[in-house]
Amino acid sequence: MSFEAKRCGVQFSPPSIVLIYQHKETKHMRKRIIPVRNFSKYSDYSMAAESLKNHPRHRDYLEGVSQSQLEKLHIILRDHMQGFSLEHSLASFRLDPDEDLNQLDDDKLARKKGQMDELFEKNRKHKDDPDFVYDLEMDFTKTTQERCSWDEESDDGF
Amino acid sequence: MAGDAGSIPELDQKKYDSDEQVKIICLGDSAVGKSKLMERFLMDEYRPQQLSTYALTLYKHTAAVGNKTVAIDFWDTAGQERFQSMHPSYYHKAHACIMVFDVQRKITYKNLANWYKELREYRPEIPCCVVANKIDADLKVTQRSFNFGKKQGIPFYFVSAADGTNVVKMFREMITRAVDYKQNPSDFMDEVLQELENFDLEKKEEDSEADEVGLKAEGPESE
Repeated sequence: MSFEAKRCGVQFSPPSIVLIYQHKETKHMRKRIIPVRNFSKYSDYSMAAESLKNHPRHRDYLEGVSQSQLEKLHIILRDHMQGFSLEHSLASFRLDPDEDLNQLDDDKLARKKGQMDELFEKNRKHKDDPDFVYDLEMDFTKTTQERCSWDEESDDGF
Repeated sequence: MAGDAGSIPELDQKKYDSDEQVKIICLGDSAVGKSKLMERFLMDEYRPQQLSTYALTLYKHTAAVGNKTVAIDFWDTAGQERFQSMHPSYYHKAHACIMVFDVQRKITYKNLANWYKELREYRPEIPCCVVANKIDADLKVTQRSFNFGKKQGIPFYFVSAADGTNVVKMFREMITRAVDYKQNPSDFMDEVLQELENFDLEKKEEDSEADEVGLKAEGPESE
């Protein structure tokens, strides 16, 4: 991979994905504007994101951008097409640790999962990383353990 | 009645009676990382089989346990957890259960009690564990003790599907426990079901001696 994705975003008109990346050899920072074609307010954001990620002209640049991040950008574009504000889209991604995600429909859950995936991708160890260990073990039993506040107020088997 | 529970037309759950076939189920709230854990454990082997009509995903895996090869089916929910309850066929003939929560969301930990209660209604004795996922988000959580596992007398694992911490260890231990359980089933329902099945097929008299099978398994070779 000779490009390193640094940041990405959207442009509403014409609908496009904007990618800031660095050329690994020359170290030059570049901006790439990828027009999003055949995408309407009725389109499937997950399929659109997948086909963009596999697009022969763009896939090398998008290698470091996760599927869920591309989905998120498509959701923002689609929300805009449906007349929702950017603030509305961003609020729908926000995670509330006390919210019961079991109650959400597919679309709302996908927004939250997309948000969670950002941290996952950031901390993710890939198979080809030099320090990758398949069977990574860590013993936490010896660390001094304080009682977890989540176990308090127990009335339901805790 | 319990026999009906296994009726998913595409899936013949009878195969789980054979010695080499093991069924391990995953339980837990939406977005705790159940599929991500499967993906991390199976790596290149990761080929989910979607049964969307049943909101169910299956993953197949083979492992060597002791001196034999076993085929494991991991059952994962595909949104079925939204109904706060799983279809009885999900629990039917399961040999072990992996319960997952997200260390960043208290509600997913609190809901373990509901999942565990439902599990034990169907499978009172199968091996089970509690998995605290996403410790990469904040390693400090590993200094806290989460008492749910201890209270129920089941093992507890701190894991991260992202960086891989303890994922493989947890799955391997659960596979071993599932196979052990299969060789020495202690669930009353298992025995009842087996009796019923034997009743149907009068010919298979050898199989009805569940105790004997259990003893044999402890011998040096179980070919």
